[in-house]
Amino acid sequence: MNLKVKTKLVKEISESQNADIEKIKAGNDIIIECKNLNLWYDDNHALKDINMIVKKNKVTAIIGPSGCGKSTLIRSFNRMNDVIEGCKTEGTVEFRGRNIYGNRISAMKIRKYIGMIFQKPNPFPMSIYDNILYGPKIHRMRDKKKLETILKNSLEMAVLWDEVKDRLKDSALGLSGGQQQRLCIARTLAIEPEVILMDEPTSSLDPIATAKIEELINDLKEKYTVIIVTHNMQQAARISDYTAFMYLGELIEFGETEQIFENPQERLTENYITGRFG
Amino acid sequence: MASTTEIYEQDTTEFEIEGAFDTDKLVHLILLMCASLATIVVFFIIFLLFQNAGNFFRKVPLEEFLFDDHWLPTDEEEPQFGAYNIIAGTLLVAFGAMVIAVPLGILTAIFIAEIAPPKISKFLKASVELLSGVPSVVFGFFGLIILNKYIKEVLGAPSGATWLSGSIILAIMALPTIVTVAEDAISSVPMHYREASLAMGATRWQTISKVILPGAISGITAAVILGLGRAIGETMAVLMVTGNNNVFPDPITDIFSPLRTITGTIGIEMGEVPANSLHYRALFALAIVLFLITFIINLTANFIISRFNKKLRGELKSKSRNQILIPEIIKENKKTITYLILSILFGWLLTNIFDIINAVIISLILIGIILVLRIISPFKLEEYKFLIYFYMLFTLLAWVFSTWFDWETAILMCLALAGFIFILKILNPINQQRVVFSIISIAAFISVLSLSIIIYYIVSNGLPAITWEFLTEDSEDSGRAGGIFPMIVGTLWLTVGAIIYAVPIGVAAGIYLSEYAKEGPITKIIRTGIDNLNGTPSIVFGLFGLAFFVLYLDFGISMIAGQLTLALMILPTIIRTTEESVKSIPQSFREGSLALGSTKWQSISKVVLPAAMPGITTGMILGMGRASGETAPILFTAAVFKQKSLPRYVIQPVMALTYHLFVLATSIPDSDTQAAGTALVLLVLVMIMYSFAIYVRNSYQKKKNW
Ligand SMILES: Nc1ncnc2c1ncn2[C@@H]1O[C@H](COP(=O)(O)OP(=O)(O)OP(=O)(O)O)[C@@H](O)[C@H]1O
Ligand SMILES: [Mg+2]
Repeated sequence: MNLKVKTKLVKEISESQNADIEKIKAGNDIIIECKNLNLWYDDNHALKDINMIVKKNKVTAIIGPSGCGKSTLIRSFNRMNDVIEGCKTEGTVEFRGRNIYGNRISAMKIRKYIGMIFQKPNPFPMSIYDNILYGPKIHRMRDKKKLETILKNSLEMAVLWDEVKDRLKDSALGLSGGQQQRLCIARTLAIEPEVILMDEPTSSLDPIATAKIEELINDLKEKYTVIIVTHNMQQAARISDYTAFMYLGELIEFGETEQIFENPQERLTENYITGRFG
Repeated sequence: MASTTEIYEQDTTEFEIEGAFDTDKLVHLILLMCASLATIVVFFIIFLLFQNAGNFFRKVPLEEFLFDDHWLPTDEEEPQFGAYNIIAGTLLVAFGAMVIAVPLGILTAIFIAEIAPPKISKFLKASVELLSGVPSVVFGFFGLIILNKYIKEVLGAPSGATWLSGSIILAIMALPTIVTVAEDAISSVPMHYREASLAMGATRWQTISKVILPGAISGITAAVILGLGRAIGETMAVLMVTGNNNVFPDPITDIFSPLRTITGTIGIEMGEVPANSLHYRALFALAIVLFLITFIINLTANFIISRFNKKLRGELKSKSRNQILIPEIIKENKKTITYLILSILFGWLLTNIFDIINAVIISLILIGIILVLRIISPFKLEEYKFLIYFYMLFTLLAWVFSTWFDWETAILMCLALAGFIFILKILNPINQQRVVFSIISIAAFISVLSLSIIIYYIVSNGLPAITWEFLTEDSEDSGRAGGIFPMIVGTLWLTVGAIIYAVPIGVAAGIYLSEYAKEGPITKIIRTGIDNLNGTPSIVFGLFGLAFFVLYLDFGISMIAGQLTLALMILPTIIRTTEESVKSIPQSFREGSLALGSTKWQSISKVVLPAAMPGITTGMILGMGRASGETAPILFTAAVFKQKSLPRYVIQPVMALTYHLFVLATSIPDSDTQAAGTALVLLVLVMIMYSFAIYVRNSYQKKKNW
């Protein structure tokens, strides 16, 4: 399939899109909704008119070929793109119905509610203990007992407690890659966010560590909303409830995961899922 | 049942910014102010130099100052301020140092980067770095006591205090700078260049000479320029060994002639002149000349380095319009320019040997021969060019030798040298590599040896002086007996004070540059300011301290004036190391922290800074080492030779190891042992700090696993 045909297909899609979203919206448990979201890195138009919703206590996967804007999109959900020089956003991202790019909104506070896990585990160069309590401490939590509870709860939630409970004071950099990533998840859980964004959280891990994280994501659903970017289509199919397929900065198709994988409405989606390009 | 959306909409105020006060903005502002300080200081130094030079240039015409060679500032009837010899002496002694240090330094750098086995290379690198901390007054002491004696007794010079000894000492001092910077440049040539060349069957030496050195050439040039800057700005060592006679070497190759330099003149005379007298102003005028020379040197070096770095990062587009034109012109006409310079030198040489008319005639004949060759020869002139270069170069060399030996010896030496080069050229690559590598190894050996001899001398002569009393008692009999306890304390006070003033500002400025500064004109100005502050000669800091802290703020000769002067001097070191170590902290740490809802300043202060701490500590200790080894900045601001008690207040003057050693070595006869002991204590103190800094850095580099 050559590039021209692909771009043409992309253009035809927008109309059918809105219909899908309306259908999913029905449940009224929407936590994030972006409307006509556009984003530029200097002159590079990286996100084009994205309309998408994220439902509470569900796992939403974002898939698409490399460079299509997955990371950019997920980072715009908690304004992590603010840090990048020359990055400009238009349109709205509503979290609980309030536009996070609106006036008087503090990006710091948004990030407290919408946490993020990165592709490469990035524990801070301090002890496991300090890593977990970093978030609560910067948010001015000082009660010792409460901190201890948070520590234990978040590590347990991230299924790491048993492995590290005897070495809480050791450097987090001594953990294995998979453990480090679970530590980062626990660190995010410690600030009790509502949404957890994950940008290819397993791409630097081996299959066993990956399986553990996937299991963990499944557990997290109960209390949290998860948005995950992944390159691995089986992973998206296994763990997500909704899937968004992106291509060249546009959202091509968005729907329930089962439908996307078994009965994609768009040729592009089908081609991507069946591995005809990528 | 109310929809979830509605419930949420009621409590979204918790996402809002609270109050109008923004800590991040305040922090940003404070850091910016600290970063600007370095630049402001540079401007302030320039301003104060000119202000204190005052009406000097109205009383003494600029031509007289620059081109007259009568320097009689204290003449009662008619003081004269012709600084020609002094300025020439500054340049000559630095030039001589470069003639020695550049080949040695570059060859040593090649040895460390390319030839030595990893273990030796690592050891050499660390030692060279360590030796860059040897205080200049220790070098001066060695030169005065040992080198000068050697030159007098063995080489038969009328007096030991000569241009030659000044250049040798300066060369040894400039070596660490040249080696470190050049080695960095060579090592940063990407590995795949080497592999590509070796894979084509080139020998290692061919790879080095044809691929690596050309790739590192601008870095190496910068190393040379920085070394030159160091040599020109050096005070104490030069002052102690060159004799300080206001003469011009005659003939100009007379390396046994004594010399007088700008720094030496200021160092000797400033202590004795009344403030704001014409003589005082004349010394500031000299300082302006010195500052301008080093300023130009620094700008050039930094320009070359930044281009080199850009080239390494592949940012330099081959022909962008924004580039400053001059270097391009030079690059394109490299050969013509070399040709021109050589011709001028050659012409000047001819006028030296013959009178002008004969010189012109000979030149004309030579040009005629070249032209005829060009016309009648079946070959193109291009092929002769190399020969012509060589011919000119060797004639120059022969003439230089001839002023030292007789004509026959000079010509023989040149022929031998030419023969050697010729043989080297026709050897097969493997043997060629053998010969070249042995030369390089010998050069590296000489570098290390020269530095070790000094250390060895100081240690072996100083050890007998070291006793418990020496370390814990005050001096007696003008330093001929007793100990150096107050000087140790004074040096520590000065150092600690300097660190206390410099660290907060320097660290803040470093953080600003790495975390907040956006590339733009303001950042550029700040960076230029810091770079220039870094290259400003320490004696200029001394004058600044005198003019500003001692006289203008009326602190008098006092500990605090010395501490502040030293603080300004080490500020660039601290800024740079902070910036570099903060920059080396991966972006993912900052993102991880921001993603947890921290402010920018929280992520910096809680995650980035702790991770960068070893690097910052390194900078701090290096700064301490530098502060404790400096003499020139405290010469007129803080130090006294004798004082009744330890200073109790910061407005009292102090005794210091460096100054004590300086006075013992230059003015107190029969105090050699005490002086050597002082030198040893000073050396040990500084070396401890430097090795600690290097240790912290190395163990941190090993440990860091992100
Ligand atoms: N910091 C940045 N500055 C400038 N352009 C950027 C930046 N980050 C991403 N881009 C550009 O934006 C587009 C989308 O990038 P993004 O990282 O979002 O893609 P992605 O789908 O996450 O790719 P991958 O699967 O490789 O991670 C790309 O064209 C990329 O070059
Ligand atoms: Mg990505």
